[in-house]
Amino acid sequence: MKAFRIIISGIVQGVGFRPFIYRIAVRNNLKGYVRNLGGSEVEIKIIGKDDDLIGKFFSELFSNLPPSAKIEKMIVEESGIEDLSEFKILSSGNKIHEISEIPPDLSICDDCLKEVLDKNNKRRYYYAFNSCAFCGPKFSILYKVPYDRENTSMRDFPLCKDCTNEYYDPNNIRRFDAQGISCSICGPKLFLETIYGEKIDGDPISLTAKLIEEGNIVAIKGIGGFHIAVDPFNDDVIIKLRERKKRPQQPFALMGISTEVIKKYAEVSETEEYLLNSPERPIVLLKKKDNSSISKLISPGLDRNGFFLYYTGLHYLLLNQLKDKISIMTSGNKHGIPMCTDEECVRRELNGIVDYVLYHNRKIVNRVDDSVLRVSNGRIMMLRRGRGYAPTWIRLNREINYPVIAVGAELQNAGAIGFKDKVIPTQYIGDTDKIETLNNLEKYIKYFLNVYSLTPKIVIADKNPSYQSVKLATKLSQEYSAELIQVQHHFAHALSVASENGIEEGVAITIDGIGYGDDGNAWGGEVIKFDGIKYSREFHLEYVPYPGGDINALKPERMLAIFLSRILTFDEISKFVKLDSRELRVIEHQLKEKTLMTSSTGRFLDAISAFLGVCNKRTYEGEPAIKLEAFSKGKLLDFEFDLRNDEIITEKAFEWLIQNKDKDGRDLAYTIQYKLGKALVKTALKLNPEKILVSGGASVNEIILKGIMENSEGVEVITPNKVPAGDGGIALGQVFYSSFIES
Amino acid sequence: MSSKDIITLLHGAGGSYMHNLIKQIFMTLDDNFGDIGLQMLDDGAVINNVVFTTDSFIVRPIFFKGGDIGRLSVSGTVNDIAMMGGDPVALSLGVVIEEGFPIHDLEKIVNSIKNTALEAGVHIVTGDTKVMEKGSLDKIIINTSGIGFRSKQLDHDIETLRKTREPKEWLVPLNLRPGDKIIVSGTIGDHAIAILSSREGIGFEANVSSDVAPLNKLINGILEIGGVADAKDPTRGGLADLLNDWSEKSKLGIYIREEDIPVKDEVRAASEFMGMDILELGNEGKAVIAVSPEYVKDVLNELWSIPQGKDASVIGEVRKDIEGVILETSIGGKRYVGRPLGDPVPRIC
Ligand SMILES: [Fe+3]
Ligand SMILES: [Mg+2]
Ligand SMILES: [Zn+2]
Ligand SMILES: [Zn+2]
Repeated sequence: MKAFRIIISGIVQGVGFRPFIYRIAVRNNLKGYVRNLGGSEVEIKIIGKDDDLIGKFFSELFSNLPPSAKIEKMIVEESGIEDLSEFKILSSGNKIHEISEIPPDLSICDDCLKEVLDKNNKRRYYYAFNSCAFCGPKFSILYKVPYDRENTSMRDFPLCKDCTNEYYDPNNIRRFDAQGISCSICGPKLFLETIYGEKIDGDPISLTAKLIEEGNIVAIKGIGGFHIAVDPFNDDVIIKLRERKKRPQQPFALMGISTEVIKKYAEVSETEEYLLNSPERPIVLLKKKDNSSISKLISPGLDRNGFFLYYTGLHYLLLNQLKDKISIMTSGNKHGIPMCTDEECVRRELNGIVDYVLYHNRKIVNRVDDSVLRVSNGRIMMLRRGRGYAPTWIRLNREINYPVIAVGAELQNAGAIGFKDKVIPTQYIGDTDKIETLNNLEKYIKYFLNVYSLTPKIVIADKNPSYQSVKLATKLSQEYSAELIQVQHHFAHALSVASENGIEEGVAITIDGIGYGDDGNAWGGEVIKFDGIKYSREFHLEYVPYPGGDINALKPERMLAIFLSRILTFDEISKFVKLDSRELRVIEHQLKEKTLMTSSTGRFLDAISAFLGVCNKRTYEGEPAIKLEAFSKGKLLDFEFDLRNDEIITEKAFEWLIQNKDKDGRDLAYTIQYKLGKALVKTALKLNPEKILVSGGASVNEIILKGIMENSEGVEVITPNKVPAGDGGIALGQVFYSSFIES
Repeated sequence: MSSKDIITLLHGAGGSYMHNLIKQIFMTLDDNFGDIGLQMLDDGAVINNVVFTTDSFIVRPIFFKGGDIGRLSVSGTVNDIAMMGGDPVALSLGVVIEEGFPIHDLEKIVNSIKNTALEAGVHIVTGDTKVMEKGSLDKIIINTSGIGFRSKQLDHDIETLRKTREPKEWLVPLNLRPGDKIIVSGTIGDHAIAILSSREGIGFEANVSSDVAPLNKLINGILEIGGVADAKDPTRGGLADLLNDWSEKSKLGIYIREEDIPVKDEVRAASEFMGMDILELGNEGKAVIAVSPEYVKDVLNELWSIPQGKDASVIGEVRKDIEGVILETSIGGKRYVGRPLGDPVPRIC
């Protein structure tokens, strides 16, 4: 006879963990119990006759773990033998007040989908909202913790008799004590309307499929918000949607019913296939296949399309009724403001954009956008951290002395809260320069403070005085009587990737658009050496003038003129730059005065993009640089950047481009980006680093990253993985900063 | 501020740097004197019903399309008095001249001062002249101080305000109430763009001239109608600075719509070329007026009846359900309008 006490922490609540333990314990003839300790931890006691059965219990525990459960830590200790007659699931009587992790929203699982497709399943066949302990919405329907049904928007749907039986049956591994379950008798309902609110009778799913195929624009209520669905083979409706959404170029995501379907249109590597099928179901940016039948207007000028798989029963049933089992599914928002989560917002904001709306009557409590990932040089890089990932926490290797709030940066922003060794980044929030979005940042920061019962002592913001998020931080610091600390943008980028890897000192290459520099200039191509919160900017891209500020980000041709002005006269420049002659004259005059300077990587890439005629107008964030990367399917030519003092001389690239302007633009583009990566890493190597961290929006650029990785002379190159490399990851670095502040 | 800190040009650009400088250093001079004194940080002070104000003028170039430094120095001080509800009467003139300055230019400036004073109905009653060695200033600095008496029309205006509020005796931000409409008397940014383009030889001055002008008659005209809670001229720091000032002092929110702000096409194009925010452009012949809603129509009609007010528009309103200054942009979405930071600080990644 042997007995063990096991404490497991991680995502073990609301994911069917206890019935799973119950089942494998009973199967192996073990006695004992399992119970929640507050939720982030589960206590298990097992008593068994022989080692063999106990061994089998452990091996099943590891090999058959419920798909959405996550074991972070496990303590096993031998314990006293009690005389227990059976194995029991105990109620969480012993309330140790441990903070529990909010589970993220996960895709419908295979078992649930099977039920939805099973004609003989009376309660769940064709049921769009089927879920079980292992799957379905969680964070998006959660008002507050603990994660009980009455604290979710499922409280509006009292369980029917059959669901009640399932809920109380410990042998029902998928539905015992599962908060989100329902069936077609008791669960949410679908209904289809025109945007003006006229009801349409009939089966909402097949009618929606028909409407999409007939070329209509349909909003569809999902898990964390609304999508807009249109036929991806119909150029006219895509043009119409682009006009109505005022979104001329930005790519649309495509939702498919299976990897096989997606493979008709895109190359899918093993890693990418794994990501597509993971329960988080992110949008994955995949290399387009040539000659695919899908509309070219979905992602103009790009070599990748964003694809994801269905993640609810509704998506599956809908896609299944489309001829090609695939649909455009883009987020249901008006440009720049947050995606709608309720009917009222849809009728107000999407009027004039969509024709029809497929609603359901389950409330969306928390907005969660789809996550976006890509694989770059074999590395998984997050572009947007939303559904499936948020709001899981990230563990630090250090303790934070006081609860902190971090408000991140400004565009494509997310905030975070931190306490002890945990950081909880908010879900992707958006561009907080808009009040509607800024209010959302405040709302979710407060939501998490509330859920985790924290009173912040420190509020961390960027140093940029024109960020609205900094104003929010000032307000929050007053509200909570907390200290306001401002952290330099690129140092926060460096700390973000450092914190994920438990690194406290080192060398970082931070490359992005613009961040406010300590000297008041616009930084963006930096090599930073740091130790705790001490840092120094050792090298950077050559400073060039940035007269007029943000206007240069919107007009790549302006940046081109500025770079060319370093090697050419304005008369000569006019041959290369497509700008109004008056505007050129303005720039010429502005350059005569002392102006702000920039070392931005993004602006350098913008100028190259304009020079090669790839993109001369920015309609979405990063467009000129993203299109440049897509265009650069070329080979490496002879060219090297020079280092002068602490500056990597970028103007040399333009001299070389002009000399070689008859060569293939794709080779030129490829060479510039690759060699920029090489120059950055060669510079970083001068500091004798053990490891080189790379972060910032431009570090997802496959070619630059390749240039860095292939020239690091064996020094390990570390890129962000758990949060975006871009500004969506800044808040994590900001929280990490606070761990170095003495109490 | 630490001992390392020095005055930079940012401090002179209006906006938040200047604002902090005044609050932290000059406000130590305040001893609470006057009916409206230093503590109010308004356009001028009021002592025993006399409005008193001062302003120094530097502008490069000193002659520009639509005006010159002379016209500017009279208009600036006249307008500061008018925006309090005063009738400007007499000005002093202090001139500091750089060695080598052409006498002919000085004559032109003084002539312009004379004409502008005539236009405004004010008199130059005292003065002072200094010459400084070459290089110690840029050509010429003019200071004007002025006094004015309580405008007769102001009593009527304040009386009309009593129907809806308990107003102060003068045109001050504390008179603002939720629901008041915000009117601008004409197109925004003309002065700043005219100056910048004549300075840089860009050529917009062919179509844009400075709006520099005395506004005392315009203000008296609308005071006669009534319902005017406050008026202020959006000079350095433009609308952004002015509206933040109003919002802070009245503790009310101000909501404006980009679409409704009158801007000349050339000004819009030029400010885009230069990367400037229209809300931050300076004006020298415009008034921003907060008007009780029931008087808005009549005030607008009055403004439209005179050349200086022909482009007057309602651009927004005072609200109590919001904080600070909010702009509804023409592409949709809303943003907070901060005080200008001097040079624009880039934030687009
Ligand atoms: Fe950044
Ligand atoms: Mg006033
Ligand atoms: Zn399931
Ligand atoms: Zn049911």
